[in-house]
This record gives sequence, C-alpha cells and structure tokens, in this order.
Amino acid sequence: MLKYTVRRLLQMIPVFIGVTLILFALRIPGFLPGDPIKLIAGEKPLPEGTRRQIIKENHLDDPVYVQYYEYLKGFAKGFPDPRNVDLGESYQKNREVKDILLDKFPNTFRLAFAAIFVEIVLGLLAGIISAVKQYSFWDVLVTLSTSILVSVPVFWLGLLLQMTFGIGLKKLTGGAVFLPITGMGDPPDLMHLILPSFTLASVSTAYVARIMRSQMLEAMGQDYIRTAMAKGLTERAVIFKHALKNALIPVVTFVGIDLGALMGGAILTESVFSWPGIGREIMLAVGQRDWPVVMGGVIVIVFIYMFVNLAVDLSYAVLDPRIRYGGAAE
Amino acid sequence: MALLEVTGLRTQFFTRDGVVKAVDGVSFELEQGKTLAIVGESGSGKSVTALSLMRLIQEPQGRVVEGGVNLGGQDVLKMSDTAIRAMRGNRIAMIFQDPMTSLNPVFRVGYQIGEALRVHKGMNRKRAFDRAVEMLDLVGIPNAAHRAKDYPHQFSGGMRQRAMIAMALACDPDILIADEPTTALDVTIQAQILELMVELQQREGTAIIMITHDLGVVADMANDVMVMYGGKQVEYGVADDVFYRPLHPYTWGLLDSLPRHDISAKGELCPIKGQPPSLIDIPSGCAFHPRCPYAKEICRTTVPALVEIEPGHSSACHFSGDPAFRRDQVACSADMEAN
Repeated sequence: MLKYTVRRLLQMIPVFIGVTLILFALRIPGFLPGDPIKLIAGEKPLPEGTRRQIIKENHLDDPVYVQYYEYLKGFAKGFPDPRNVDLGESYQKNREVKDILLDKFPNTFRLAFAAIFVEIVLGLLAGIISAVKQYSFWDVLVTLSTSILVSVPVFWLGLLLQMTFGIGLKKLTGGAVFLPITGMGDPPDLMHLILPSFTLASVSTAYVARIMRSQMLEAMGQDYIRTAMAKGLTERAVIFKHALKNALIPVVTFVGIDLGALMGGAILTESVFSWPGIGREIMLAVGQRDWPVVMGGVIVIVFIYMFVNLAVDLSYAVLDPRIRYGGAAE
Repeated sequence: MALLEVTGLRTQFFTRDGVVKAVDGVSFELEQGKTLAIVGESGSGKSVTALSLMRLIQEPQGRVVEGGVNLGGQDVLKMSDTAIRAMRGNRIAMIFQDPMTSLNPVFRVGYQIGEALRVHKGMNRKRAFDRAVEMLDLVGIPNAAHRAKDYPHQFSGGMRQRAMIAMALACDPDILIADEPTTALDVTIQAQILELMVELQQREGTAIIMITHDLGVVADMANDVMVMYGGKQVEYGVADDVFYRPLHPYTWGLLDSLPRHDISAKGELCPIKGQPPSLIDIPSGCAFHPRCPYAKEICRTTVPALVEIEPGHSSACHFSGDPAFRRDQVACSADMEAN
C-alpha cells in the first residue's frame, strides 16, 4: 500500500511537467495576442524606466525556458509549506495569485461538497429505489427524470431555477435569497448553497442514480444473493448489505472522479450564479488575458484532481477486498 | 411420518414466449438421515424443484402453482414470510453448484458463515464468528481461525465449497439440499467434497437431497433416486432398484451413457440421441417419446402416469407394466453396429 502510494505520488511529476509545459507554450511571443506590458500597466504610454522594471520583474525579456525555470522555482517554495508558494502576481489585480486563489477556493470547495452531498444522497436513493422496485412507478419516474437531467445543460437549468425560485416564487422565497449575490457572509448562509449545488449536481446525480440502478440490479441477480436468501436473511439485509456493498464499488469510482472535477471549479454553474469560486475566476482571467492567474489556478486544480483521485483509488481497497495494492496478494 | 413430503409440486415461469412448466407434478418423500438423489439432464427441473422447496423461486416471473411441501407437519408453501425465513438456513439449508460465485466477494468467509447463526440462533457477532471457525475446522479447512478472516477470493474452489457446506450446516439443519455441489470442481476435489458430506451426514443425521447428473455420485451416496425428464418424474425408487432394475427407457439411456468397462466392447459410449425438450413446448404424450427408441403411437397421444410397478419403485412409461419390457444392455451395441 505504501509502495503503491509512493509510486502514484511519483507519477504525478510527469503530469505536472506536462501541464505546466502546455501552459507555458502560451508564453511564447506571438502565441497569444496582446502585449503583457499593456495588460499590466494599461494603455497609457509608460516612462522607459517603469517599462524596464515591469519587464525585469516579470522576466518578460528572458527566454521561455528561463521563465519556466523561474516559475518552477517559485512553485517549489510551496514545499513543504504550501503557504509559501510563489505563483507570481496578477497582471490585472495587483495582487499575488496565491492570495486570489486562497480567496476563491474555499467557495469552490463549499459548492463542490454541497453538490457531492446532493449527488450521493439523491443519486443513491433514487438508484436503489428504482432497482428494488424495478418497473414500478418510481422506477419509471427515476429512469425518465435521469434521462432528462443528463441532457439538460447546467447553465440553462441554473437560469431556470433562478427564474422559478427567485422571480416566480418571489412571495415564497423572498426573491434573491437563494442567489449568492446577497448575504454571502461568514459563516456563509447555507440557503445560498441550495440552488447552485442542485444545479451543479444535476447531471452527476442522474448518472449516479443510473449507475446505482444497473449495479444493484446486477448484484441482485448474483449467486451470492441467492445464498444469502437461502441463509434466511431478511430481504432488507440481503439488499442493503449483500447487494449494496458490491454495487457501490463502481459508484465510488464515479463520485470520486466527479469530486476531483468539482473541486476544480464549475465554470458554468459558478458563472450563472455569480458564485465567487475558482472556475469563475479562471474564466474571467482568460477573458482579461491575466496569464498568471490562469496558470496558477490550473496548476492548483490539477494538483487537487490528482490527490483526490489517489485518495479514491486507495479507498477501493477498503470496499473491495479483491483489490490490494502493492504487488503480491497476502 | 417422513421428514419431508412433497406432493404434486408444480412450478411455472411466466415468460414472454409462454409458460415454462419447469416442474410438473413431482412427489417424493425424504426420511431423516437419508439421501435422495434427483437425477436428470440440464433443464429437467431438478434445481427448480429444490428452489421451490426453499420458496426461493423469483416471483412474479416464477411461481409454485400447485402442490404441497410438508416439513414436519407444516406446509412450507403456505408459511408466512417470517416463518419461511426462520426455516431457510435453519431447517433446510442449501449449497449451490458454483462455489466461485456463491460466496459474497466483499465479506469475510467467517462472517458469512456466522450470519446464519446470528439470524437463527441469536448469537452475537463474536460468538457467531467463533462458531464459524469451528465449522470451518469441521469441514477440514486447515488453520481455520486464520482462514475465517480471509475473503472468498483467497480460497480455492474446493475450499470455497467446504466453506459453503460449513455455512449450510452451521445451524444444524434437518435437510441439506446440494445442487450439483461438485460439478464445478476438479475430479479429485469432487471425491473429497462428497466424502465430507457423507461423513457429516453420518455425524449429524442430516437428510440430503442431492441434485446431480452424475450417476457415479448417485451410486455412492443415494438411498433413493428420482429421475426427472422435462419437468416430470419418470422413475422413482430405491437406488439399487433404479440402478439394477431400471424401468424407464430414459433411465436406461442415462445408464448407457456411462462409461463402463464390462460392456460396449467397442469402447464407445451410447448417448441418448436428440436434445432435452423445451419446457415451454413439451412434446405431446410422453415428453420423452421423440428420443425414445421404443416409442409407439400411444406415447405420442397419452401422458403416462407414474405407476408403482414393484413395491417402492415407480415408473412413468406405458410399457413398464410389461415384465418383458426391461433394459437390454446389448441393444445399444447392436444399434451401434448398425450405424
């Protein structure tokens, strides 16, 4: 297990290099339109001294590989204490990229965990019910609504929910209370999480329900279920112990990968709800060609994604005893 | 009174293609400590008979439509769900054909054996596990205390079937149903598993219903034999009678299909020609008539009843009543010469 973990951690190095190299290609002069100096200092003419200073501070006259080296050096300061990481400074905001990300990530995490919660609770429940009561009214309802949900674009669903709850049901909800625009205090009002998290979770919830349904049905047709029945266990014990534990394994895979993806920010949902998270920040930065923010944001997302995936892979061993990492079986 | 009395059992499955008459009027008895073998080809209704006794037929696709299963004065088919659960694994236990898939891969073997004990004997987790270790030891798993903590994939096929037997016998049931328990195992392991079952039967006095298509197994273990074909009972009697004085042409065919060293000089087997019938569209009259070399007009038109020909030995063939209509061991070889 330890050997496997170390190997997986080492495998992150080439991924990291690949991601940063691609992002650094954007720094090759002429690759992207626009002049970084103008992005930093604005359109007005600059005194020559200031111009030189900006160029020097941002290594703009160095070859790209030197810039890359400098960037890695700054990044390496984040080990072992990630708080010391140096991701450069935003072109637009006159702030350290690190500080911007630290501002935005907690909001993204909050939304991601709320969405995962919705996904697990609703998805598993719907999947189990429709499998246990196959071909019943509930099964048809789940099958139909998941088919609709997977094909609805989240931004449209988000807008629709805002219109319904914010405007249509204004008397009931008091208008904008469900939108995060107002009252995003500290601690944040949970009410503001409801619509964005349901929107963000919609597609995944539908997938979880479908996977859960098919896996439960498959598990319930297995020989070991008949064995469990023949032992005299109650139907509930057979379904919720013997079938569920087997059926959960693929669901955990899906939810795990999804968690990694959601933690990296949800550009569409965050934009539609003006949610001050990392996805929206990166989208804005792309629009402003604020390269250091894009670069820093993507790198952190990649790291989070890799670590969450590793955690998920390690968790299989707990669920499925047939999986044991690190070479020979015991 | 017999421990188990089954009368006129009919189990059907309702499919899109029609009604599958998987078990069509089967009756038998089982005495305490005795072994009944149910023999027949694949799809003859053996397993469905067993599952019907346990009420493990998946409803609503399948249903026991008629019959009685009397277990110690109670009709299993009329029991409440609670009563049937209290019976399963406790009074009638079952082991299945494929030990590779019959154990749940994500629970420890000891836990799975202990589950029945917790349900039926009210043991706590710890005591049930300890008892499971004893059971594993009893069925000959070496180092049982350690192996009980293993998962099924860490067991070999033979060990898994031993674990299944331990699981089935954990609550000391009156009846053990073994549905082709050795089919999925190596020949050497098969003998060990059968020996183990006989040994445990003698120790615990358990009655066994052995479902098999292996006549060698039947000869070794069975007191009584029931031969099934197309969902019906075609011959039923004491093992020696069925083996040495078989009445039904289908039983003859089964015996002729066995490799023997004393007859069939050419060293070739005599299989029954043709395929078992579809249980949706069972042939008219005697279900076996399309494959039966002795079939006459009456076989096509009239279903033969199961008739007691000798005391305790019955057959469902129109001609079994005729003492001259008996197995002719040369018939097969002659038939082969002709080909």
